[in-house]
Amino acid sequence: MKKILNKPEEYTDDMLRGIYEAHKGEVKYAGNDLRCYCTAKKIPGKVAIITGGGTGHLPLFLGYVGEGLLDGCGVGSVFQSPSPEQIFEITREVEAGSGVLYLYGNYTGDIMAFDMASEMCEMEGIRTASITGADDVCSGDPSVRRGVAGIFFMYKAAGAEAARMGTLEEVLAAARKAKDGTRTVGFALTPCVIPEIGHANFSLDENEMAMGMGIHGEPGIWNGPVKSSRELAQESLDTILKDMPLDSGEEVSVLINGLGATSQEELYILCDDVLKLLRDKGIRVYRSFVGEYATSMEMAGASVSLCRTDQEMKEYLDYPVHTPFLTMLKGK
Amino acid sequence: MERMTREQLPDFFRSIASMFAGHAAELCEMDAKLGDGDLGLTMKKGFGALPEIAEKLEEPDLGKAVMKCGMKLSSVIPSTMGFLMGSGLMGAGRTLTGKAEMTGSDLAGFYRGYADGIIKRGKCSPGDRTILDAVNGAASEAEKLVKEKPDAGFGEVAAAAEKGAEKGAEATRNMIPKFGKAAVHQEAAAGVRDQGAVAGFYLAAAIAEFGKEED
Repeated sequence: MKKILNKPEEYTDDMLRGIYEAHKGEVKYAGNDLRCYCTAKKIPGKVAIITGGGTGHLPLFLGYVGEGLLDGCGVGSVFQSPSPEQIFEITREVEAGSGVLYLYGNYTGDIMAFDMASEMCEMEGIRTASITGADDVCSGDPSVRRGVAGIFFMYKAAGAEAARMGTLEEVLAAARKAKDGTRTVGFALTPCVIPEIGHANFSLDENEMAMGMGIHGEPGIWNGPVKSSRELAQESLDTILKDMPLDSGEEVSVLINGLGATSQEELYILCDDVLKLLRDKGIRVYRSFVGEYATSMEMAGASVSLCRTDQEMKEYLDYPVHTPFLTMLKGK
Repeated sequence: MERMTREQLPDFFRSIASMFAGHAAELCEMDAKLGDGDLGLTMKKGFGALPEIAEKLEEPDLGKAVMKCGMKLSSVIPSTMGFLMGSGLMGAGRTLTGKAEMTGSDLAGFYRGYADGIIKRGKCSPGDRTILDAVNGAASEAEKLVKEKPDAGFGEVAAAAEKGAEKGAEATRNMIPKFGKAAVHQEAAAGVRDQGAVAGFYLAAAIAEFGKEED
C-alpha cells in the first residue's frame, strides 16, 4: 500500500479534519461528531436533503453538500455505512421546518441506518421521506441495483427543487424523476486498497478489466482483456439502452465519470466515443459532464451515465450550485 | 415487581448486560460453528454499553428513552446483529411512548414491538430460525398471560415471556436456516438451537431476572 496518511484507522477522521479546516464557513459538523457533516449555510423554510455513505468515493457523498444541492451527509468509515444516530443528529441540525429528504445509494447497511433514523425523527415530529439511487444496470433487477455515479442527477434535481423552495413532495418527485430517467454502466481496470486492510481485495491482470464492477469492487458481469474506448462506449450504451430504450430525437445528458486513477484525457476519449454513438442513433445530448463525480479511491476505470433530459430536467441541471467540491454557474 | 419506572431503565439494561457478559463465551462458541463467531462478544459489547447510555439520557419519556437506546446500540455494534437488536429496541420503545413506567401488559407490548422491529428491519418471519423465534415466543406467552390476567405484574409477565422465549429457541432445532452462514451449512444446523434464538432467550431470561426485584 502506497498512500499519504498517518494511521490507517484514522484515515476518515483525518480527511474530515482537513476538509473542515480548508472550508471553514461553508461546512461544519453537528453533535460534536466529525462524521455528522452539515452545511454551515442553513436556509429557513427550505426542505433539507441528507445523504450518506462510506468514505472513499469523493466527491461522493459529502462533496455534494452546499448551495443548490444537499444540506447534510452521514460519513461512514471507508466503504462502511454511517450510524443511525449520526443521521439523526445531522437531521436535527439541518432540518429547517419543511421536512427532510433522505437521498442515498441502495446499499443494505445505509438503508437500515436511514430507516432507523427516520423512525426516530417520526417520534420527534420531524417529517422525512426517503429515496435511494439505484442506477447501476449491471448489478441486477431494478429493486436491488446499487447506486453509483448517476445519483449526481438525483442530487442535482432534488437540490434545485429544494433551493426553489419546493415542498417535500415536490423535492421527492424531482429526485424520483431523475432516478427513473438515469442509468449507469461502469467498468474497472485496477482495484483499490482499503487503508485498514492494506492490500487490494481482488486483482486484475495487467491486460485485464472488469465490466460492470461496483464502486466497492463488487464483481461485475465479465472479466477479460481491456477493450478499446470505442468498444467500451458501444457496450456501455448497448447495456443502458436495452434497459432504458430511447427513441431517435429524444434528449439526454451524459455523465462520463472517472473512478479515481483514470486521467481526464482518457475520460474525454471515452466521451467522444459515447457522444458519436448517440449522434448516430439520433439521440440529442443537452449537456455532458466529464470528470470525477463518484470514485473508488485510486481505482482506475470509468462509468457512463445517461439521464433523460426534458425541459424540467434542463432547469434542474442548469440551476447554479456551489460546494467545496463542485461549482456550476447558472445555465449551460 | 409490579411495574418498572423510567428511573430503573439503567438497572433494566444492567441485568441484560450482565446476562450477556456471563454467556458471551458460550454464544461465541455456538456462533463459531454456524456464524461469524462473534455473537457473544457483540451482545456483550452492545448491551454492556446501554446502562451508562441510559443513565446519561435526558429523556423523561420511557418509550423515547428506549428508542434512543436502540438507536445508540446500533452505533456501538455496527453490524447486522446490531441493526436488528437496535431496531427491536426501537420497536419496543415505540409501544411505550408517552409512558413513564412499564406494567405487565406494557411488557407484553414491549416484546411484541421488539419482534415487529426485527421483522421490519430484517425482513424475516417466525420459523426462519433466527433470534425472532425466541422474541416472538416471548411476546406470545406474555400476551397469553395478559389476556387471561389483565392486571398481571411486570415480574409475572417477564417470567411467562422467559418460558415463551425458551420454547421458541428450542423449536429452532428443527427449523431450516434461511439466513447467514447457517443457510449454507444446513446439515450442521440440524438438531442444534439457533445461536441468535439462544441470545434472544438470554435477553428474556435477563428481563425475568430483573423482574424478580422488589418494587
